[in-house]
Amino acid sequence: MKHEAYDHPAFQLVERVPGLDLALLKADDLLHWGAENSLWIFPMGTSCCAIEFMAAAASRLDMDRFGTIVRGSPRQCDVMVIAGTITVKMAPRVLKLWEQMPEPKWAIAMGSCAISGDFYRDIYSVVPGVDTFMPVDVYVPGCPPSPDALVDGVRRLQEKIRAARAGTPFVREARPEAATMIRPEIKRLSDPDRDPAITQAQCKAVLNMDKGGRETPRS
Amino acid sequence: MAMSAHATAHTSQAKAAELPRVPTPAIGPRANPYLDADSFEGEGDLMVLNMGPQHPSTHGVLRLKLWLDGEVVIKAVPYLGYLHRGVEKLLEKLSYVQSTPIVDKNDYVASMTNELALVMAFEKLEGCEVPRRARYLRTICAEMQRVASHLLWLGTFALDMGGALGGGTTAFMYCLRERERILDLFEELTGARFHYHMMQIGGVRHDLPVGWDVHMKQVAADIRARIPEYESMLSANPIFRSRTKGIGRIDARLAMELGLSGPNLRACGVDFDLRRSQPYAAYDEIEVHSALAYEGDVYARYQVRVAEMYESLRIATALVDGVPAGPIMGRKPIETVNAVKPPAGEAYVAIDSPRGELGCWVVSDGSPRPYRCKLRPPSYHALAALPYLLPGTTIPDVVVILGSLDPIMGEADR
Repeated sequence: MKHEAYDHPAFQLVERVPGLDLALLKADDLLHWGAENSLWIFPMGTSCCAIEFMAAAASRLDMDRFGTIVRGSPRQCDVMVIAGTITVKMAPRVLKLWEQMPEPKWAIAMGSCAISGDFYRDIYSVVPGVDTFMPVDVYVPGCPPSPDALVDGVRRLQEKIRAARAGTPFVREARPEAATMIRPEIKRLSDPDRDPAITQAQCKAVLNMDKGGRETPRS
Repeated sequence: MAMSAHATAHTSQAKAAELPRVPTPAIGPRANPYLDADSFEGEGDLMVLNMGPQHPSTHGVLRLKLWLDGEVVIKAVPYLGYLHRGVEKLLEKLSYVQSTPIVDKNDYVASMTNELALVMAFEKLEGCEVPRRARYLRTICAEMQRVASHLLWLGTFALDMGGALGGGTTAFMYCLRERERILDLFEELTGARFHYHMMQIGGVRHDLPVGWDVHMKQVAADIRARIPEYESMLSANPIFRSRTKGIGRIDARLAMELGLSGPNLRACGVDFDLRRSQPYAAYDEIEVHSALAYEGDVYARYQVRVAEMYESLRIATALVDGVPAGPIMGRKPIETVNAVKPPAGEAYVAIDSPRGELGCWVVSDGSPRPYRCKLRPPSYHALAALPYLLPGTTIPDVVVILGSLDPIMGEADR
């Protein structure tokens, strides 16, 4: 049974002309290779992280070595780096700028404000993470992340684009020793085997903080 | 043309007497450019241009609404609040001990001075003494932070000029190269590049590492040797001079009425420097020569900031040689979040941050959390000058004037 797409005239042309399929594959490879190595970055910088973004683009680290160019217009760019706190007033503008970028496009959330809102998370005017309203490909944690971390984030994005070209899903190989190294003593909210009693005890400890009650349970 | 801060300070009185008195238009209800912000007479013939909130030259997320006749700006109104993070509300929710890292993110180019203002207000409220060594360290950090802040300003300001300087990124790259060295110093001292959390109620958190003073003096000497290069790149450039001289002129009286402070005010010839008039930290032990200029235009602000860099390097180098021995904390170590409980009352402290008078007003009700904490950001008041400066200029000048005021939106919106 043939797929609908095989009826498309373009596909029939590929079938008829000998060698065209190979040429198209090569052209596709070339396009992906170009996209990977010439990421034009649109800096959606609002606050502190924007300064570290500038430091990453400036003389010491010189992000241009990895094929990136910083442009001021969203219409010319492939990657949006959201650097800084996004407020409720700013979020519609960020989304509009994201929609103005041509496909294919990627987004890097730089810094804990863009990832989760950081400690402004509960403030009335702050969006708790940009992935609440737009897709994000790479998260670069830190407050602010050092320029080295941002360069690493750009390299990982290139890795992701490369993996997408190869047709493999992008899964970073797990290092079991790293998991044991960073796992906190208290199980996180997302862990399935977390004891609900711990949540209650934690809430109680926070409420009693004024009275000096610091009952931090250990699981 | 290197402007010597020493020579300027000595002749300031004589020059101020010669200064011609320019009559200023009265700022009354009729002349207030904010009153008819949304519409005014004759608006229909003009083109409205929204500059920002995302614009590479607005230094953050400022939105300027410009009414244009051709290329000439008829009226300009700044709209703020795109980075309003509710910092003052957050400070009420957190205890005194937890507050210091929050204000780091306010003026993210000069974190040290932000912490200093807040911590000094808390200390005044609590009535605790700061040891002399801690005061010296605070002053050294604040002055090096001023150099880093002004370097970043100089770089981005040259970048705003763009191609007019024959490749505007040159100065930017040079300035950030020097700034990285100061950040390395702070990293050595505090462990952080950017948000230091160096100041603590009663003193500082970190003592000087071994050899830090040698590194600092080396960095200061290098930067002092290189600033003349940047000056020769900019001051000697006829395009730079023609784009900055006589542009964005603020009269001294208007500047004072609007509440401008710091380099913006000192560029108008007003010798107002909190480091000398209300010496805090260790400024009472060293002579501070404020840089002054009299024209009040963009070029004067540039001159003042460059001269302040020399002066700050001199102060920091002089202080680091004479750091006294002793403790760095004036109270018992803070071990819990609720350790600081000042008595009920209020305190206001103002310091001279790289952008001007940074004030902090704290009200305490005796609990471990402040009842109210108000910050007085200098950038907010600098932005208030825009509706007076922009009308009559062209669009390329808007970018230059805005950049010369050195606003930081994180601080203005809070």
